[in-house]
Amino acid sequence: MDAAFWIVQALNALQLSMLLFLLSVGLTIVFGLMHFINLAHGALYALGAFVAVSAAGFTGSTWAAFAAAPLAVATVGVLLYLLLIRRLRSAGPMNQVLVTFGLIFVFLDLFRMIWGDIALGLPEPEVLAGQTGLFGVVYPTYRLFIILLGLAVMAVLALVLARTPIGAMIRAGVDNDRMAACLGIDVDRLFFLVFCVGCALAGLAGAVAAPVLSVTTDMGTGILIPTLVVVVVGGLGSLKGAVAGSLLTGFVQTFGAVIAPQLAAIAIYAMLAAVLILRPAGLFPARA
Amino acid sequence: MFHQTPLKTLAMALLAAGGVACALTTGFYGRELITEIAILAMLAIALDLVAGYGGMVSLCHGALYGAGAYAFAAATVLAGWGGGAGILAAVLAGGIAAWAVGAVTARTQGIFFIMATLAFGQMGYVTVFDARALGANDGLPGVPRLDLSAIGLDLGDSRSFALFCIALAVAAYAFAAALLRSGFGRTLVGIRANAARMRALGLPVWRYKAAAFGLSGAIAGLAGALAAQHTSFVSPGLLHWTVSGELLILVILGGLGTLVGAVLGAAALVLLKHQVSGFTDHWHLVVGVVLIAAVLAGGRGLYGGIEHWWTRRRMPAAPAEGGGA
Repeated sequence: MDAAFWIVQALNALQLSMLLFLLSVGLTIVFGLMHFINLAHGALYALGAFVAVSAAGFTGSTWAAFAAAPLAVATVGVLLYLLLIRRLRSAGPMNQVLVTFGLIFVFLDLFRMIWGDIALGLPEPEVLAGQTGLFGVVYPTYRLFIILLGLAVMAVLALVLARTPIGAMIRAGVDNDRMAACLGIDVDRLFFLVFCVGCALAGLAGAVAAPVLSVTTDMGTGILIPTLVVVVVGGLGSLKGAVAGSLLTGFVQTFGAVIAPQLAAIAIYAMLAAVLILRPAGLFPARA
Repeated sequence: MFHQTPLKTLAMALLAAGGVACALTTGFYGRELITEIAILAMLAIALDLVAGYGGMVSLCHGALYGAGAYAFAAATVLAGWGGGAGILAAVLAGGIAAWAVGAVTARTQGIFFIMATLAFGQMGYVTVFDARALGANDGLPGVPRLDLSAIGLDLGDSRSFALFCIALAVAAYAFAAALLRSGFGRTLVGIRANAARMRALGLPVWRYKAAAFGLSGAIAGLAGALAAQHTSFVSPGLLHWTVSGELLILVILGGLGTLVGAVLGAAALVLLKHQVSGFTDHWHLVVGVVLIAAVLAGGRGLYGGIEHWWTRRRMPAAPAEGGGA
């Protein structure tokens, strides 16, 4: 095992981390803002992948698919918000868990009805096919694209949260939603906005993951647990937590599988347990 | 706080009598359903004990259930022990594993507790999934049933086994009810209401939480041992987090923190699944929609709704109506 091998593994870990980041960032901020637990987030990711496959089949372009998936999932997010989630806002975490768990079931069967039980695939965009040389190793260009996309989204979100009025309002809402409301911030509206952006990012994650993974009805339930692990390890409500949590989870999972294959599956759960025992509120909770 | 109200006694008596009547009168398939309900009800009682009264919403009860099932299977199939020793092993396996999880997670709360139990449950699932000695993902077949021929019972007969499971489910209910009425149970409810105050009173809070979780795990382990005997087969699927998720759903739909509701929820879920899968392939969709509708409609749960209706009926001079007169 030489240096090149470890560089490839590090890139793999980074690529997984970025997918997890796209998924977890919306979840964690919605969580921090409203204590709203959306277990159907994984199903929205799967929806993004399915929409991307259909859109690519329809238009013949994977780029069009990457644009269509976030839009479609955000639209579904708006519908979910108007029909269900708005009513659940004050219903307590238990009811939110139940309804969103029910949504997982509903989505699962809807996917089976619409797209069937066979695994689907999405071709990568032609520009990104092939390999690129980097740090003396050859790495698939498409996977580098996922890493760069994740980093770009991370940078944009960091900038918006730190430098814009809306970012300041979101941070205020996460820190103390009642006080923010007293100061005239429409926290409900913020929540709606963040929820939709979170849905769009989940859809985007599903679409860009589709060429790497195969698109199946249970891909949403498979990714849900690692995403929740990221959110809890990172601490609720903070961008920093989502970044740290997704990097930690991605690297532990990838390197766990390389270093100790027989313990690989346990690795991220052991990490979660260790973090919760040492820091019961996660690494970087938004609220001290 | 838990009260064994007359309504609870009546509801449990009706449920148990209904189960016994079905076991005696229906055919093989009906008896299988009744057995499934009784085992699931036991597991649901175990979860309601900690989630409804201790505020510990666990997502690892599926794993504890699986631990019991695997302990029974390993003891009887691999080690060649008798059924009695197997059941003891199952109860101990569930109890000890749960005590350890409860002790380690005692400081975490809310969503963090849920996630921590989820992590430990999934660790159990993955461990069993990879364990060659336990048959890995193929599971262990050929699990024997407990031999009760000494007292004239043949548990190989589906009717006797159904009645046996109902009896144990009733015993689990009685145990949980007695536990909650004791000083221990009152303390547990106190911790749920205000852990900081209980700690200030000098109580070792984590020890109570761990003990409650351990006892709940022991009941779950017993349910697992029965499940292993019921299907004569164990597989890693028993430990998967979706088992715990479905269990939590049925407890909440039945009425969290009522014990009777857990039993009602178990019966409702098994029957609903059975009915729906009879006419459509997409039972997930129907169960999901029913779940969402049930939460939006009220949120007291099945038994909570019944209790609400019962108390209103018994006390017609409720303050709201009395004030207008």
